[in-house]
Amino acid sequence: MAPAATSTEWSTDFDTARRQRLFQSPPKDTTAYPMLAAAVDPHIESFNSIFARKGLLDEGIKDIGTKVFLDGDPYAQPEETGPRNRLHVRIREVFFDKAVLPATNKFALQNRNVFPAECRERHATYKGKYRARIDWRVNNGDWQEEVRDLGYVPIMLKSNRCHLENLTPDQLVKAKEETEELGGYFIVNGIEKLIRMLLVNRRNYPMAIKRGAFTNRGPGYTPYGIVIRCVRRDQTSQTNALHYLSDGNVNLRFSWRKAEYLVPAMMVLKALVETNDREIFEGVVGAAGSPGLGEKQFVTDRVELLLRTYRVYGIHSKAKTRAYLGEKFKVILQVPEDMTDEDAGTEFLRRIVLPHLGSYDVTESQNNDKFRMLLFMVRKLYALVEGECAVDNPDAVQHQEVLLGGHLYGMILKERLDEWLNSLRLPLMEWGRKNDWPAFTSPQFQRDFLPKIMKRTNENIGQAMEYFLSTGNLVSPTGLDLQQTAGFCVVAEKINFYRFISHFRMVHRGAFFAQLKTTTVRKLLPESWGFLCPVHTPDGSPCGLLNHFAHKCKIATESVDVSAIPGLVAQLGVQSRSSASLDASVVVQLDGRVLGFCSPKQAKIVGDTLRYWKVEGTHGVPLELEVGYIPNSNGGQYPGLYMFSQSARMYRPVKYLPLDRLDYVGPFEQPFMSIACTNPEIVSGDSTHVEYDPTNLLSILANMTPFSDHNQSPRNMYQCQMGKQSMGTPGTALRYRTDNKTYRLQTGQTPVVRPPLHNEYGLDNFPNGTNAVVAVISYTGYDMDDAMILNKSSHERGFGHGTIYKTKICDLEEGTRKSRSARLVSKLFGFPPGGLVRAAWREKLDDDGLPRIGTALQAGDIIAAWHTVSYDPASNEYVNRDLQTQFFKYKEDELAFVEEVRIIGSEDGTSPCQKISIKLRVPRSPVIGDKFSSRHGQKGVCSQKWPAIDMPFSESGIQPDVIINPHAFPSRMTIGMFVESLAGKAGALHGIPQDSTPFRFDEQNTATDFFGHQLMKAGYNYYGNEPMYSGITGQEFAADIYLGVVYYQRLRHMVNDKYQVRTTGPVNQLTGQPIKGRKKGGGIRVGEMERDALLAHGTAFLLQDRLMNCSDYMKAPICRACGSFLSTQPTVSEFDRKKKGNTMVRCRRCAKLAEGSESTSEIWMDGQGVRYTGGDDVAVVAVPGVLKYLDVELASMGVRLKFNVSP
Amino acid sequence: MEYDNDAGAISARVLDAGEMNAHFLVDNFNLETANALRRVMLAEIPTIAIDIVEVLDNTTVLADEFIAHRLGLIPLSAKGVEELQYSRDCDCEGYCELCSVVLTLNARCNSDQIMHVHARDLVISAGRPNEEVGNPVLKDPERNGPCIVKLRKGQAIHMRCIAKKGIAKEHAKWAPSAAIGFEYDPNNKLKHLDYWYEADAQAEWPKDEAHANLDGDVADGEPFDYDAKPEKFFYNVETVGGLDPDQIVHQGIAVLQKKLAEIISVVQGDDNVDGFGGAQSPQMNGGYGNDAGYTTPYGNNTVWGGGGGGPAGGSTTPFGATPYGGGY
Repeated sequence: MAPAATSTEWSTDFDTARRQRLFQSPPKDTTAYPMLAAAVDPHIESFNSIFARKGLLDEGIKDIGTKVFLDGDPYAQPEETGPRNRLHVRIREVFFDKAVLPATNKFALQNRNVFPAECRERHATYKGKYRARIDWRVNNGDWQEEVRDLGYVPIMLKSNRCHLENLTPDQLVKAKEETEELGGYFIVNGIEKLIRMLLVNRRNYPMAIKRGAFTNRGPGYTPYGIVIRCVRRDQTSQTNALHYLSDGNVNLRFSWRKAEYLVPAMMVLKALVETNDREIFEGVVGAAGSPGLGEKQFVTDRVELLLRTYRVYGIHSKAKTRAYLGEKFKVILQVPEDMTDEDAGTEFLRRIVLPHLGSYDVTESQNNDKFRMLLFMVRKLYALVEGECAVDNPDAVQHQEVLLGGHLYGMILKERLDEWLNSLRLPLMEWGRKNDWPAFTSPQFQRDFLPKIMKRTNENIGQAMEYFLSTGNLVSPTGLDLQQTAGFCVVAEKINFYRFISHFRMVHRGAFFAQLKTTTVRKLLPESWGFLCPVHTPDGSPCGLLNHFAHKCKIATESVDVSAIPGLVAQLGVQSRSSASLDASVVVQLDGRVLGFCSPKQAKIVGDTLRYWKVEGTHGVPLELEVGYIPNSNGGQYPGLYMFSQSARMYRPVKYLPLDRLDYVGPFEQPFMSIACTNPEIVSGDSTHVEYDPTNLLSILANMTPFSDHNQSPRNMYQCQMGKQSMGTPGTALRYRTDNKTYRLQTGQTPVVRPPLHNEYGLDNFPNGTNAVVAVISYTGYDMDDAMILNKSSHERGFGHGTIYKTKICDLEEGTRKSRSARLVSKLFGFPPGGLVRAAWREKLDDDGLPRIGTALQAGDIIAAWHTVSYDPASNEYVNRDLQTQFFKYKEDELAFVEEVRIIGSEDGTSPCQKISIKLRVPRSPVIGDKFSSRHGQKGVCSQKWPAIDMPFSESGIQPDVIINPHAFPSRMTIGMFVESLAGKAGALHGIPQDSTPFRFDEQNTATDFFGHQLMKAGYNYYGNEPMYSGITGQEFAADIYLGVVYYQRLRHMVNDKYQVRTTGPVNQLTGQPIKGRKKGGGIRVGEMERDALLAHGTAFLLQDRLMNCSDYMKAPICRACGSFLSTQPTVSEFDRKKKGNTMVRCRRCAKLAEGSESTSEIWMDGQGVRYTGGDDVAVVAVPGVLKYLDVELASMGVRLKFNVSP
Repeated sequence: MEYDNDAGAISARVLDAGEMNAHFLVDNFNLETANALRRVMLAEIPTIAIDIVEVLDNTTVLADEFIAHRLGLIPLSAKGVEELQYSRDCDCEGYCELCSVVLTLNARCNSDQIMHVHARDLVISAGRPNEEVGNPVLKDPERNGPCIVKLRKGQAIHMRCIAKKGIAKEHAKWAPSAAIGFEYDPNNKLKHLDYWYEADAQAEWPKDEAHANLDGDVADGEPFDYDAKPEKFFYNVETVGGLDPDQIVHQGIAVLQKKLAEIISVVQGDDNVDGFGGAQSPQMNGGYGNDAGYTTPYGNNTVWGGGGGGPAGGSTTPFGATPYGGGY
């Protein structure tokens, strides 16, 4: 019988034995922590959707379609060339392989797979071969096909192109990964990068916007507009906007290849379908004879005007309108020159106008959908202008969705393919020009097309993708409808596991918003409830822009099947005719497609029915469907029933009360629903849903703050930051990682006080701190001002001991151009054969010239030996000729041990080792000045390590590990820390873990009471106080001391990385002032404010010392007569040039040429041997060096400084 | 243990004694001496602990210095440690049989099972003063002692550990006792402590009945004697295993007496005693540079170059002469 399946149920228990078993024999079926794996699902699944069957790229290829190129001289007169041949090129399919060794490597025979761990260790990129099968034909000939290599594209880990997909924890360990390897990121040059999620406007929903900038479009433009972000099936988007002009006209605005265009909306309407003015009028205003038409004077007036002004164009039929549009947009659409204007107009409508309703093979009914949607948008625009509806807030999560990493990646891949085909144009021209314009039908073309013309295009899409991932910069001719071009990718830092996991739940509002002066975009809005964590955002510049998802929030990565919806909606009484008044009929939409209209009452019934069915799972209504019913209101959001089924939506689980079943709720529908927070808050007849748990609104990290409901909220934000900066356990597969810098806490523990989620997310695999006995007492004064005292004995027993791992790469080819050939290798590692090897070298290095594992290194020690070689073709060997050994040196100032040495060969295995990577271990036991914090935003710096005998102690002899000052609490109000202390103490005494989930206690049933009674049971004071004695005198303190157990984190900010000291040191060449920078041994600037403080204190000597003596103090000769620094010069002795000292300084300006009659003692000579007399009134003064520099600068502009020198 | 039944004489009474702890009461004592005894028992009784580790082979998953730290904290029997010299007082260079005990840890895992290396596996080299000092303390039922490291197949550890005599003032590994219970005046008759309470201090604070009864009840209406001094002291000495609890107390008294005697003799100007008697940290000999936090772990070498050189000379910096030279 197969072993029992791995249990994924977790409680708040320590479960030590169970975790031990999971570690010793990792599960062979599934992970024990499915919640953790689910946290990164949006990344992986969005990537998977690119290459899935009928995935984004397949759709994208259809959207790219067939490119047509014409032969012949484009500048020749048409009559000269005759009809031109057409070359059709299209992409049939693309292939994306898993990562394998290149074919040039002849050494690995059995397993040619390249695993991610290898790429990390080798500082390489985890990438797979990317190929495309292209079809091409000339005119109507047969299609010919060819597979082209498009380079190597980076692969997302655990995606459907990764070797790690679907591996069990057991297999993952064998692949040198964590048992809980999450994937979702890329490995580029050994660095883990991920594409950060981005908040963008909700797709396919026309948003009412009022923005002052709209008036800049031209005269007549008003701030009113309707913006819709249309998303094609390949996830690329095209924003369409309607602008209201002050005369009542409506123009459609769109961007195409980063340029903006404006078209009258009427023209687009007329081009879409064969229509008439009446149809348009009724479509915007409402059917003739429908209720409320009389009150619609505002709209009728404007529609009339709309129709009237359009008449000036004099274009009537659909075909003519399309031809008109086609003529205008033919060039920018890059359609072939011989395409008719009408076809070009059709192409325009296909690609640009509401492409979410059909972007390839557009049918008549899809054009009709576009027509109806455009009418609806015009209608909403007029309602907005009239004041019938309010603007939609684009900063609210209600109108937002998530741009997923995989989708963005797919968009770029598609665009690259498109550009690649487009780029054929130039080589084709080039080829034609050089060969005197042969026809495409000629055999020469048949022969040259692939090897000569195709080859000239930039086929290396893989390199472009690698560039995108490693820099985060988007190089795109279209801009991909995004507002930023940089900052898409971030490094998935593994400082500790909290930080790592947070990267995958992180969502950014966009770099554009970071520059905005207003703070409105950063506001925490109630709509975000349950989707974005209100706590987990950094403070400082990215505050409110960089958010994190609530831990239960999911992101849809594929569209659900909604084919049944239009039929159901029709059955429920939705019809195509609308009334003029919103009270009589509101719109029903599905993914930006108008399904029809019905009365508001009926819309609510439709919405409720669909919801019931979707939870029930009947009638083909999918559970993930978002049914947003917006009720009629007095000038509120534009009413209607809007349904969304596509990907990139956020949704979250809540309980649907009528069926007592799981329902998913999206941000669009949530503001108009009644979701009770807890069971007692359910209001009969109103509440339709209830939260499964109020903690669902917090992110993973925010949930880990114990009793966060007792804290002042900024403190919880601080903890979310500090949790990510603590020295913890970055992972368990540390041996197979070569991060630049990793921090590790040697003595990590599981917290006594933690929520059950701590176990569900498997965070005990990555301990992040230590339980410490904490006394809240002011003792010896060293705990003032957020300092904390450590117990020296605790420290000696290992409290907070940490290690830093650094990786140094010794590259022999560094700086040289990568020589492709193995014969050009000029350096090799090791001692030169036959050369002298000193005993001192062998202390650090082994026979092979590489460092020995475990060697201690100090600054300046050698870490690797190398020698020069040249290739000898006769013997096929590398020969050293000079017998000289050269070394790589350890340059840092800290003691380090060699942990691992990696020899990095080349991927094809043909050239000798040119690169090694050495992992160093730097022990960092806590020292005074290191930073610690509890989990409540209470950070402090260790100020003293008192010996145990001097520490205060309780009656049982317990001494605290940490002493903090009581003044840390009143202003910060971190009551949660008190509760944690209490709970930790009780937990430690009874040997039980304590559940610290927030919102579990209330006023009647307080946390202090619960834990107080536990303490009483253990024979301690109910309030957690204990009498304590001074360790120095042995006398009992007058006050009883709050003593408990708190989980402490050691933060990665350590004095050893920060301290700066300087007596004398390097100075700036030009000014003579000390340079800045810790690394260079520079000083710390005494700035204006410091200067002001010194001035205010009247400390003149100190001021002079700082600003002059310790800075650019210099003695400069000055001429007292003319007051100039610049005219003084040392004299040159006529007889003894070498004589030093006692050289006289004279003023050249005041001197006269010697006439020969002066006495020799008065004559002096300059460097040229010219003899002068006079100019001897020179004094040496102490001045700041920059003063002289200023003088020089001014002199260069013709300004002379004259100094009065006295006495 | 009672020396004198006279009212003024110090008397001790054992309340509870076991292998691991001694719970006793000292009467007619004073606070200063009582605390001094506590401090001495915590930090100044000489014991033995591994101080130097020579790593011959270490292919385990743990780093050298990390294992060395673990080894240092393993309790070793300090019985008969007085026959050992402090290493710094010894004439030898480094260490010798007179001032150290050498333990060797040598293990290699050859089986597929994970192998546990325990304190039991520390093998003592011959040539120590007596057969007791330096033995690893094994208190668990299997008599394995603490686990030092776990080995997987093919991994090996070979370390020579030099255990030396020392005191806990220098490093916590020499502590004979990790914590000592200390209490006086359980009924708060002296009012040193001002209990914090919501309604009633008596009801809210837990009471150690045994101690409270031994100390005598507060008689109602008895006037507060503000001159009163604490006289009864409750100790609870718990050993980490190296010394028996009663030994800790005896030794504590002895060390305290010796320290006092030295002070007296220094004050009286007796030439026979050198000024640095008693326990002290080996820092006096140099050797250990790095401690306490006021020195950096890099010795006194500053980042900016030559240790010991300091700012001597002024005109030259570690970066060479300033561009402005030694004075204009």
